[in-house]
Amino acid sequence: MTVDIEEAPSRPPGPLAGGPRARRGRRLPTGWVPYLLIAPAVVALLAVLGYALVRNLLISFQEFGRRQLISRTTEWTGLDNYREVLENDRFWDSLVRTFVFMAVNVVLIMVIGTLIGLLLNQLGRAMRLVLSISLVAAWAMPVTVSTTVFSWLFDTQFGVANWVMRHLGFSGYEQHNWFGSGLSTLTIATLLIVWGSVPFVALNLYAGLTTIGGEIYEAARMDGANAWRIFWSIVAPIMRPFFLITSFLEIIWVFKAFVQIYALNGGGPDRESETLPVMAYIEGMGQNQYGTGAAISVLTLVILLVAMSFYFRLILRQEREEGLPTQTATAPVRSGA
Amino acid sequence: MRHKLVAAVGAAAMTVALAACGDDGSGGGGGGSSDSITVWLMDGSAPDSWVSELNTAFEEKYGVTVNVETQQWDGIQDRITTALSEDGTVDVLEIGNTQTVGYANTGGLADLGEFADEPWSENMLDSARVDGTLYALPWYGANRVVVYDKSIWADAGAEVPTTREEWIDALEKIDENTDAEPIYLPGQSYYVLGGFIADEGGSFAVQDGDSWEGALDTPAGQAGMDFYRQLQSFSNSPTDNDEASPQQSTEVVPAGDVASWIGLGWEAAGATAAIEEQGGEADFGYFPIPGKTADELGHVFLGGSNLAVSERAGNREMAMNWLRMATSQEWAQKYVDANEGGVVPNRTDVTAEPAPGTFAEAMVQSADVGFLPPLTPGWANVETEPNPIKEFMTRALDGDDFSAAAGDADSEITTRINRE
Amino acid sequence: MNARKTWLNLVALALSAAFLFPVYWMFATSFKSDSQVLTRDPVFFFTPTFEHYSTATGVNLFWTYVRNSLVVTVGAVLLALAVALCAAFALARMRFRGRRGMLLAVMMAQMAPWEILIIVVYLNARDLSMLNSIGTLVLVYFVMALPFSIWTLRGFIAAVPKELEESAMIDGCNRGQAFFRVIFPLLGPGLMATSLFGFILAWNEYAMVLVLNKAPDAATLPLWITQFQTNFGNDWGATMAASSMFTVPVLLVFLVLQRRVTGGLAAGAVKG
Repeated sequence: MTVDIEEAPSRPPGPLAGGPRARRGRRLPTGWVPYLLIAPAVVALLAVLGYALVRNLLISFQEFGRRQLISRTTEWTGLDNYREVLENDRFWDSLVRTFVFMAVNVVLIMVIGTLIGLLLNQLGRAMRLVLSISLVAAWAMPVTVSTTVFSWLFDTQFGVANWVMRHLGFSGYEQHNWFGSGLSTLTIATLLIVWGSVPFVALNLYAGLTTIGGEIYEAARMDGANAWRIFWSIVAPIMRPFFLITSFLEIIWVFKAFVQIYALNGGGPDRESETLPVMAYIEGMGQNQYGTGAAISVLTLVILLVAMSFYFRLILRQEREEGLPTQTATAPVRSGA
Repeated sequence: MRHKLVAAVGAAAMTVALAACGDDGSGGGGGGSSDSITVWLMDGSAPDSWVSELNTAFEEKYGVTVNVETQQWDGIQDRITTALSEDGTVDVLEIGNTQTVGYANTGGLADLGEFADEPWSENMLDSARVDGTLYALPWYGANRVVVYDKSIWADAGAEVPTTREEWIDALEKIDENTDAEPIYLPGQSYYVLGGFIADEGGSFAVQDGDSWEGALDTPAGQAGMDFYRQLQSFSNSPTDNDEASPQQSTEVVPAGDVASWIGLGWEAAGATAAIEEQGGEADFGYFPIPGKTADELGHVFLGGSNLAVSERAGNREMAMNWLRMATSQEWAQKYVDANEGGVVPNRTDVTAEPAPGTFAEAMVQSADVGFLPPLTPGWANVETEPNPIKEFMTRALDGDDFSAAAGDADSEITTRINRE
Repeated sequence: MNARKTWLNLVALALSAAFLFPVYWMFATSFKSDSQVLTRDPVFFFTPTFEHYSTATGVNLFWTYVRNSLVVTVGAVLLALAVALCAAFALARMRFRGRRGMLLAVMMAQMAPWEILIIVVYLNARDLSMLNSIGTLVLVYFVMALPFSIWTLRGFIAAVPKELEESAMIDGCNRGQAFFRVIFPLLGPGLMATSLFGFILAWNEYAMVLVLNKAPDAATLPLWITQFQTNFGNDWGATMAASSMFTVPVLLVFLVLQRRVTGGLAAGAVKG
């Protein structure tokens, strides 16, 4: 890569690598211009998302089922939906399950993604291309399709997983049921989600790593630092904004993960793999109790906001430190975790 | 829930052709024009020849175009619910018979009182009425029979049974004398279980005053489940799947060595087609599910579909006219004929004359002992995944305490069935 | 050192196989005959058949679905880029009252549980007579992609040194010219990142279009994929053929853009 130091001497490493330190330069003119620029975004968000959220809040206080939907009637019931949800043990079980599931997934995604990102940086050109293409292919596969394929691979009667286990000489895999308990169902879901999410982290980390000049590693190595030290004292600090925002996004996406869990085993067996989004769907859309579903989603959103408030503060604080908004930028993402 | 109740014969080719004969590109959501109506039929419910002939005749008589929009099973509940809330999206629609009452109760279906005096098959009418008001018309019925591989049964020296006891004897013979799986029965075929419970005089749920209660944890429920367990012990199937995953007709049976299974007409046709595609030849025989004694056949779930008119239809008059024509004696008879007798007719003045030895012949024998699940507005909620009856069956088959499993399912059924 | 390289390559190879296998399985299944799809012993070697592809493309209105999907996807992506670019520029470069609030709102909007909001989005669209409309889909998908787009582009704009812009303005550019001459050319990777995000989102969306657009001529490709799972049994071959065809454009867009994203990022970062 060509580094033209003459032309851009003051240029810090790119967007992924911590953002530029803004000099307190001449204040650019402001006034009504910024408002004009954000107006379209604000209007669009308010009109589509804001309106939907308000209506969602309204029907969470209503008895709102098929009949109310079809006859277009309104029946206020105050806090009944919330009371019903909060008194349901299933809600609390799902809440705990959702957080544990999310924590395990996000840790695995971040750790494996980081390792693969570092690996990409070490590989030769050809092998890097092979691995990148594999990652991209996994990433591009529509979630509904990958879920179908995973449920085949782990099918009781026709699954490749059982076939492999039999051929490796393990007994008891003649008709092993991989979806026989909530834990093993969620394990398969974890495999599926980690498989689908790691490419995002790995490829973007790799993209960021390419912006760190090789001289820094050389210098560190000459000082006798091992790989572990290099990671923690060089890579991690530079990539801190990247890790911050990526883990933020992954937390949100895994928390919202729905298709992967629902389509694998419908939240079963016996509702043992039900997370909050799955529960909101089953109780809301499935049972045509849209009011109850809305109440669950409002509660979920509030819980998520509280849980993430610390992240909000972290990200906003980071921005203040940097003087200007920092960010990681990077490549794309699948829709929904 | 999916109601995979479809005519027996020639099913596979219908989809595309059916869609082709309707839509002219103007779409159905236009808000009710006066010169066309929109009809929603489920994928595969009607032979395309019948649909196109009917619509040609209708268009000639009334000068109104009929747009048939074929609906997929995936997400159909949400589509029907939302469509019924829109003006003019759909005029006439097909609704599964266990779902009809739930929609009738929402105010989304038009009162069809003017059709009340036609000679409908009495046991099909229950699924179309709420408090004596008719909200849908029966269209067709279908029920399950036992499909068996004649050559395997002959090899084993097994005879077609007329009682449950003989049935079990036959399965034992197959188990002893052949390598085949005597019967393929997934753990969650809950309508088969429902038949066994009905044989004992029980039901999935019973009425208690104004509300309903789950009734699995009862002597009838237990006896029904005991017989199901006995049958299921002859099967290699896991206990946590239903007949659709994997699809027993096209995915399990053609893989070979299944001596018998319980299925619907379209499933038998699908299995035959799949076996032939592999270069084999299906040698199926059919018999109705045996009862406890030779005097009575086993109860079977009477599945099927009704036709209804949306309260918000864009062109109600023409919708009624189309419905009248489609369910008239003439066209109902043609419908049955087009299906080669493979459906239970909706009218008493229509006759099905299936050829001997066919699926249809076995099927119509049990039509009189068809049962329907409790027809309450909330029944559809019970059938929604995760279905408590299915979960109960898996637990019971896996050796959980019967009362505990049945009790849990009953309380979930009670919650759901009393919702609208 | 050589042993280390060998090890790294082996690990990379194993990882590639693991990530590729489900994708391979999808493609392989689309070429298998029906009896080879689900078998007790998996079929790895077979004579490919193309019949599932003709089944999948032979569906009535197939080309309408393709056209709708393309219009919706491209429309939503372009709209998201344009609107996000404006907002991102303001958030990255200007100080104004309410800026932090807007940032917070964008972050929170990223959390929106769209799967659960389907019914209220539907109700709103119904009450405004906006059903069965391609425009409604464009609008909804655009807003779904907007928060991420703003956030990402803001980062890229912020990364462009302010001095560059200022010197352009000293040279006589006005603010708009400075933006288009200086910042915009450096945003390539950011624009690609956001357009890929929007592309995948709009291309794959199923649950909204299922209830919003019930008229057959307003449907999109995700609805097409599900129609091979019918009540006659699931035509897995056709489902997988449809899925494979559906995935290929995404894969191509990815492969082309991913290189630029990575390369562009690196270049943009060290060059000036």
